Amino acid sequence: MMEMLLEPFSYVYMQKAIAVCGLVGGVSAFLSAYLVLKGWSLMGDALSHSIVPGVAIAYMLGFPYAAGAFFAGVLAALSMAMVKKASGLREDTVIGLVFTTFFAVGLLLVSINPTAVNIQAIILGNILAISDSDIFQVALISGISLFVLLLKWKDLAAVFFDENHARSVGLKVDFLKILFFTLLSATTVAALQTVGACLVIAMVVTPGASAYLLTDRFGRMIVIAVVLGSVTSALGAYLSFFVNASTGGLIVTMQTLIFLGVFLFAPKHGVLRARWRRRAA
Amino acid sequence: MSSHQPVVVLENVGVTYPNGHVALEGVSVSLAPGKIYGLVGVNGAGKSTLFKSIMGFVKPTSGQVLIEGKGVWEALRSNLVSYVPQTEDVDWNFPVLVEDVVMMGRYGHMGFLRRPKAADKAAAAEALARVGMEKYSKRQIGELSGGQKKRVFVARALAQGGEIILLDEPFTGVDIKTEESLITLFRALVAEGRLILVSTHDLGSVPYFCDEVVLINRTLLACGPVETTFTQENLIRAFGGMLRHHRMAGDDLHDDTDARRLTVLSDDERPLVLYGEAGGEKIVTGAKDGKP
Repeated sequence: MMEMLLEPFSYVYMQKAIAVCGLVGGVSAFLSAYLVLKGWSLMGDALSHSIVPGVAIAYMLGFPYAAGAFFAGVLAALSMAMVKKASGLREDTVIGLVFTTFFAVGLLLVSINPTAVNIQAIILGNILAISDSDIFQVALISGISLFVLLLKWKDLAAVFFDENHARSVGLKVDFLKILFFTLLSATTVAALQTVGACLVIAMVVTPGASAYLLTDRFGRMIVIAVVLGSVTSALGAYLSFFVNASTGGLIVTMQTLIFLGVFLFAPKHGVLRARWRRRAA
Repeated sequence: MSSHQPVVVLENVGVTYPNGHVALEGVSVSLAPGKIYGLVGVNGAGKSTLFKSIMGFVKPTSGQVLIEGKGVWEALRSNLVSYVPQTEDVDWNFPVLVEDVVMMGRYGHMGFLRRPKAADKAAAAEALARVGMEKYSKRQIGELSGGQKKRVFVARALAQGGEIILLDEPFTGVDIKTEESLITLFRALVAEGRLILVSTHDLGSVPYFCDEVVLINRTLLACGPVETTFTQENLIRAFGGMLRHHRMAGDDLHDDTDARRLTVLSDDERPLVLYGEAGGEKIVTGAKDGKP
């Protein structure tokens, strides 16, 4: 029995997959804590779709595809900020507009030049099948993002909480916002390879949502989200060895189950607790 | 800071936004420590633009702002100016405790990683005690009442250590009793030599807690002590037709030759009441004078 459970660890590719998944899941969850609070959950969705044209172009020109994806992600984030400022349209409209445009351009490029990209791999992702150099890219991106977040999480929280005050104590608000979106784009690119473009959204929303219901302190919320994100992601990669199922599917299903549990049973903000309190009152 | 040299000086400040909108023009005003100033004007009169230019969020397109003789950027870096936002501008569901919010006031004093030192912790605790909220330090901010919420943000401003505090509409959505206890707090803070600038359109409360008023509408209309500047004439200039205005002249009130008349000015908050002969009317503040 024990031998069977430990079997995945005897394969180097499995060790790498589990470690990288855990890392990516943790970083995505770190960012999810911020996105959930700002009501920017759709940003993850938007960015993950917006990077498709970048990937397509990178393949055509023979660049590493993470570079193309990252560039397209940052470009999308900047266009959203610009369109919103210039047009005065609401945020959801702008996000919807920009990401579908990027995604359409991406599909168009892929259909014109079909040999260039396996679009399936981008949309669904597959950590178990990616090459060593890609694994290295993903690990590097996530590692750097995590390092920057650990240094600057308090400044980012202050900006997200009260921008004017952050500015009045001398924080560089515009720089920090750009930094955040850069990290988000980078992490989306990394997570893309593990769970695919569709499920990236869940990775940058669900752990934060669960953590939000479990605590009233932002620092703890981040810790809880990161633990949930990395444990479910590593476990997802591990389990996919046995059940021969999509890693992304496993990870996100586990995250959703945890969210459901928290949603019902959280000690302070859970549904059952609220109902019980109302009855007691 | 016991001298009464002005600490905030605006010299001919004008702000034109990139879209061509002129928000402020030719505003020159000096504010001295130890006083509460009411910044009064209609919505869109440029109150928030004036705030932003004192805090350095917008750069005046003409003129300059000096704080303790320094440029705004330098003043920001030395944490001289602190800001208390409007209640509706804060996300009360944000997972922060009272003590976390107050600690954010210390960020400008901390190092790269924003790790609080003993001095920061002491300053935060002292600020909380100063506003009487030390018992609530472990509460999530959304669980507080309207007045307590305001106190927490005032504590953050105190922890920041600024001698100049900008308050944005501090009394919206706060009941009269809370308003009075907040006013007592503000008075105590200026008595220690701070300068408080309050943006408000709550006319009735101005005489209760402001020493001086600054009336603006795109440009400076009047500035000076409440008794001489907060007059009906000036207010009508500031608000135009946007005020509700009731006047009861001498013959409506009594049958003798007493020419005194009663004027009530209000927008949507506590009204301003003036009483006396034409030209010599005085502001009626029930509480202060002990009159009904």
